[in-house]
Amino acid sequence: MSPATPPKSSFLAALMGLPRNVWHSIFRNPLPSNDLERSSTSFTNFFLHIHPVKVHKNSLRPTYTFGLGLISFFLFVILIVTGILLMFYYVPSTTQAYDRMLDLRGSVAFGTLLRNMHRWSAHGMVAMVFLHLCRVFLTGSYKKPREFNWVVGVILFLLTLFMSFTGYLLPWDQLAFWAITVGTAIAGYAPIVGKDIQFLLMGGTSVGQEALLRFYVLHVAVLPAILTLMIAIHFWRIRKDGGLSRPEDADPKITLEPMESAGAPKASVLEPKKVYGFQGLVRGPLTKVGQVPDNTVFSWPNLFLAELFTFVVTLSAILILSLLFNAPLEEPVNALHPPNPAKAPWYFLGLQEMVSYSAFWGGIGVPTIFVLLLLGAPYLDRGPKGVGKWFSRDRLLANTIFITFVVANIIFVIIGTFFRGANWAFVSPW
Amino acid sequence: MRLALAIGTFFILVIHGVVFYNQFFHQWERNQHAYFDQARSLAKTDAERATLANRRPRIEQIVVSNFGETRVDRCTTCHIAADDPRFTTYAEPLKSHPYSAAMGDVQKNGKWERRHKFSEFGCTVCHDGQGRGLEPEYAHGADEYWPDPLLGYTTQAHWRKDFAPKLKGREYMQANCAQCHTDIAFPGTALVTKGRELFFGSNCYGCHRIEGLSDGTIGPDLSDVGKKWKLDYLWGRIADPKSILATSIMPRFNLKDEEIKALVVFLKSRKGRNFAETEIQRFKVKLTGGAELVQATIKPVQINAAEILKQGEKLVLDRACTACHKLGDRDGGIAPDLSQEGLIKDAAWIYDHFKNPKATMPDSIMPAFRFTDDEFKAMTAYLVTLKGAPVTASGEGIYKALCLRCHGEKGDGHGPIAEHLDPYPRDLTKDGFMNSKPEARLVSSVRNGVAGTSMPAWGKLLSEEQAKAVLGYIQTTFTKEPRRELKPRAVPEKNPVAMGKDSVARGEELFVNRCAGCHGKKGDGKGPNSLDILPKPRNLRNSFFVNSVDDKRLFESILYGVQGTAMPPWIDQVSNNDVGDLVNFIRSINQKEKGGQHAAPVQ
Repeated sequence: MSPATPPKSSFLAALMGLPRNVWHSIFRNPLPSNDLERSSTSFTNFFLHIHPVKVHKNSLRPTYTFGLGLISFFLFVILIVTGILLMFYYVPSTTQAYDRMLDLRGSVAFGTLLRNMHRWSAHGMVAMVFLHLCRVFLTGSYKKPREFNWVVGVILFLLTLFMSFTGYLLPWDQLAFWAITVGTAIAGYAPIVGKDIQFLLMGGTSVGQEALLRFYVLHVAVLPAILTLMIAIHFWRIRKDGGLSRPEDADPKITLEPMESAGAPKASVLEPKKVYGFQGLVRGPLTKVGQVPDNTVFSWPNLFLAELFTFVVTLSAILILSLLFNAPLEEPVNALHPPNPAKAPWYFLGLQEMVSYSAFWGGIGVPTIFVLLLLGAPYLDRGPKGVGKWFSRDRLLANTIFITFVVANIIFVIIGTFFRGANWAFVSPW
Repeated sequence: MRLALAIGTFFILVIHGVVFYNQFFHQWERNQHAYFDQARSLAKTDAERATLANRRPRIEQIVVSNFGETRVDRCTTCHIAADDPRFTTYAEPLKSHPYSAAMGDVQKNGKWERRHKFSEFGCTVCHDGQGRGLEPEYAHGADEYWPDPLLGYTTQAHWRKDFAPKLKGREYMQANCAQCHTDIAFPGTALVTKGRELFFGSNCYGCHRIEGLSDGTIGPDLSDVGKKWKLDYLWGRIADPKSILATSIMPRFNLKDEEIKALVVFLKSRKGRNFAETEIQRFKVKLTGGAELVQATIKPVQINAAEILKQGEKLVLDRACTACHKLGDRDGGIAPDLSQEGLIKDAAWIYDHFKNPKATMPDSIMPAFRFTDDEFKAMTAYLVTLKGAPVTASGEGIYKALCLRCHGEKGDGHGPIAEHLDPYPRDLTKDGFMNSKPEARLVSSVRNGVAGTSMPAWGKLLSEEQAKAVLGYIQTTFTKEPRRELKPRAVPEKNPVAMGKDSVARGEELFVNRCAGCHGKKGDGKGPNSLDILPKPRNLRNSFFVNSVDDKRLFESILYGVQGTAMPPWIDQVSNNDVGDLVNFIRSINQKEKGGQHAAPVQ
């Protein structure tokens, strides 16, 4: 543009170019058409740069991951969005909470849909996080160097359970009240500190206004904050630990040939004269120089399309569920009239079923052992073999122990859900 | 992949379309449009038409704060014509609420004016239902979780099919009228009044407590039963108690459907506290026990001497005695047979038992009913005339006619009414017990009864031979083991230890150390071990029983134990003097009451 151009036409040109300019100021790259642009697009976009520029083909195999981690994350996003919208209507007060539920169901725009989406996403997230945990265990992905990320994952699973549990009380109906009464009673079976934990959770000796307020604060502030932070750590560690796990033979062998003039390094080389790029610090086989053959593809579009697809499927499923099934809302709380049987949320019914055999072992002993085994798995199972394969024969023992625990728990959940009637007596559902 | 993505995205769009359609095209909006259109065609002035043309659908609501907790009633969102008198002939929901002079509505200059204005009363105060809901199903309380479906209009899907049709009808709303109109015999709440009369007439009050009305303790407290339960449950608990709770001991009363309905409406009106009561009124009722209301409700029968028997019979039948007892064809299946009452009890005993059942039978569960003395006397006069049918000579026939109700078909003491008797009927299959007692004692138990228990004296009905015949039947059918020669036992005829403070004190110490585990520290038979024992340990505070047995028998039971029961022999551990102290202690706690359950023993 020459300075001779009249100011008026320059302004017009600016005006004409406004949409384009705004667009380009936001998105630095056009839709990529070559590898350089693909890399650049991934690298310069805030939301995309959390991904690697190139991703291993094994990570994209649907039957390897089933997208479970992503589904869990997307459900969390749905939960945050619907949860925040619900917060505009909810009052954590024993006198108002139930009325607010009725309003949400009756007269708030999209109230029923929001509540349904939040409810089913919450249940779905518990299930998906657990399945994700199973996937990671059964493919041996917790092994070196991903030990700590596994520990973070187990903590995320426990947080998810707690998150769902605290949300369970908020509708303040009979279902909520008695499920939390039972759930906190299970915590009370812990030795020494059990009763104190129970008291701390409920803010009293029974579920009441204090408990409702505590569960609300935990549910909408404390736990989401911790969960978000832990998820961030979880994702960050995936990158730093070299991406998703994969079998040893998924990468072509690289043999490092000795450099020709290999000799004792000169003192000047060791002096801090050279500036190193960050690549020098990144561990793992992704750091390669030159034309080394590998099994990676560009994230744009392979990974991003897969993620988008997972998101669309997740959202569709939740929307369909929310249209077909209404979130339950039972009678207003009546502390003097427990339903028989009073049941905990379904994911704790395995615990409740075990509690019916032995209060301590069912409610505290067995779950604690299971969680400790989960947390300790990568440090106890140090064998490097069997990573990246489902049900690898090298990991027969670990997988067998794990599956035994999981199947036992699932059986207990099924018994507790369908086969238990009044007074926790065995009943046939048909 | 791209195709799948496209399909998925399309799917989400479709779902959103459905959601938005549901959100913006509500049933209630269509109702309101229909109302505006109809009202416009009925409008008389242009101004009115113009206003109606400008009206847009919106959620109407009435906030009601005068009746208990604040209610938000959005019923008029759909029932938008409720207060528009032009719509009386239209179909619901566009129908005006009926005007009724009986409800206090008045006509002024040809215009009705409501006594119960919607702006003050809302809708749910009278109708129940869920005021906040906007979908008919939820608003009417048709979903199974809503505790107050529209009274008399909405039945929930899970209600029993044979009850549900009976639970419809506007008269059920009287339960809610009674929340404010608490006057005795208020004409608008006839069913509540009738139900309250039935509550007393059918003797419900004997077992149930209702604050300010009654104080029975056998059944559940019904003070706020109307707040806790829905109509179908109330109906079911009265019409078929065991169908709702298999272990219920509530009798099935011989009530017609209209009577059950009145009781259900009365019970539905019991909500703990109603809108009309003030704190001070409640306190007053607490002090007086609601005497005023009770007096107004109970209608005593004037007894005249000439017709005393007839009136007595009518009372026995009307006052639901046969809801528990057996009399002729009627059988409540809970309490003993009254068919031979005149032969096994005398007038004094029956009258005393009426006045205070526990005075003649310490562990009786029969409630004390609030009848007048005259009524009790008439009922007594009638009962002593009952002689039953003559019994056959065969042991089996006698057992089936007289014994089976308590001792059971198998003679094991688990008869149909056994669980309501205390002490529990004797298990006749225990040969240890049956064969360790001399025949004379068994005959005496049959003919003279066992004092302080439900075993009546059959002496006037059974001769000695008949008593032996039934015992013979029991021996061969239930006990089975043949009788053996009894070994003589060394038992003092009379207590060798003189009654005195020291002896009683020693006896008490011994009792607490050795006997309290089963018989309890108080000797009432409720020691910590008693739960696992059948027959239950003897209640040694049952004076009628204790005073009816002589020292010799107490000595024998303690020294040699009671075979066939959990009572062990103590002969190796205590001396005769110790037993003497124990007997003195047991006698000392039974000295107040005199007499017994029975008429003078038959000679």
